[in-house]
Amino acid sequence: MRNGLTRERDAMAAELALGVLEGEERAMAQRLCLSDPTFAAAVEGWRLQLGVLHETSADVPPPTGIWPAIEARLGAAENIETISKLSFWRRSAVASGAVAAALAVALLVPGTPDVRTVVLQPDQSAIAQLSGEAGAILAVSYTPQAGRLQIRSVDLPVSDLSPELWLIPADGVPRSLGLIGAKGTTLIEVPLALRAHLTDGAVLAVSLERAETAPHKAPTSTPIAVGKISTI
Amino acid sequence: MPDSDPYAADRARLVAALSRTSGGDRSALREVYDLTAGKMFGICLRICRDRDAAEDVLQDVYLKIWKRAGRFDAGRASPITWLSAIAHNAAIDWVRSNGTPQIAAASAATDWQTEATCEQLGAFETLEAAQTRLQLERCLEQLGPQQGGAIRAAFLEGFTHSELAVRMSVPLGTMKSLVRRGLMHLRECLGDA
Repeated sequence: MRNGLTRERDAMAAELALGVLEGEERAMAQRLCLSDPTFAAAVEGWRLQLGVLHETSADVPPPTGIWPAIEARLGAAENIETISKLSFWRRSAVASGAVAAALAVALLVPGTPDVRTVVLQPDQSAIAQLSGEAGAILAVSYTPQAGRLQIRSVDLPVSDLSPELWLIPADGVPRSLGLIGAKGTTLIEVPLALRAHLTDGAVLAVSLERAETAPHKAPTSTPIAVGKISTI
Repeated sequence: MPDSDPYAADRARLVAALSRTSGGDRSALREVYDLTAGKMFGICLRICRDRDAAEDVLQDVYLKIWKRAGRFDAGRASPITWLSAIAHNAAIDWVRSNGTPQIAAASAATDWQTEATCEQLGAFETLEAAQTRLQLERCLEQLGPQQGGAIRAAFLEGFTHSELAVRMSVPLGTMKSLVRRGLMHLRECLGDA
């Protein structure tokens, strides 16, 4: 045993860090990284240990167009604000220790989802498109007069858990808007108390949660899709 | 190996830029980019072996750095080692999910078996990182040119077991056990530290 791992597992961690694994061997090692923190830590340790070889590897100047492309992908300044609003989410998801749920989602969405805004349409007064790295897409429209929110799910991941919609206003605290269908369109009557929060710049997010206990006070897993509301 | 730390000021600048990046400062990311893009692009290019791909991966690398800068721990790794690990992983991920690059192209790659240990400090390299690196280089040398060269080539140019086997004209199973025994030697040689 070394670092709490068997010799075999430690060797596999080293091979993943070295980069030689391919096919099923690589997939298996990557799955272990997600399910076994000790293994993941060993991989990270090997990466940093071998990584010193890069200290003296040769530089190649990149072409000039790269930085502008990176900057464009960083998105508008307000998206940064959106991501910082999600920090509550990350903390609470970690603190909850809902390992099974978190893992199910981690497999689909490594890291924070990209935050995207909005396709405007003339017949709705607020709209958001939610998307995540795993390809989950949801289209949302909201009619404030009726307090009615429509959400259409496209390409949500297959899961035993159910998608729950969250509204995250400026205070950064997620409020549940209840479960939504994994397919098709769900109509939500937004409670009066929450309507005031459904304003420009508020964030909508979807996470996968246990249906039996919904609606929840706080999300227990990383969102699979995030988007920002824009009014017309 | 010099016993002063000639890159301390540059490194402090890089570490400070990383710290500001973690606070969401875009100009700080730009500074990290300006200081390190050449290094990161070299890593991406050697592993992807495709210029367009390496350029795309390089963008991804800095978006990852943008998101993860807060996790950098100067007590655990030098900034270049840490950043390089992100570039290395991103490039390997790209290569593994976009098919095997041409082995033919690889034949023009550096001959790591004869590559000499670099006695100079890398830009930004800490004395500590340099010592770790020299120790790793010594351990690799103990393995001899075939085994040590295979590990070096795998890491620096992203070869898989099968690519190494083809390059070195040995059966796949032999290559796998050569690499594994080599890594376990490194483990012993480097110790637990």
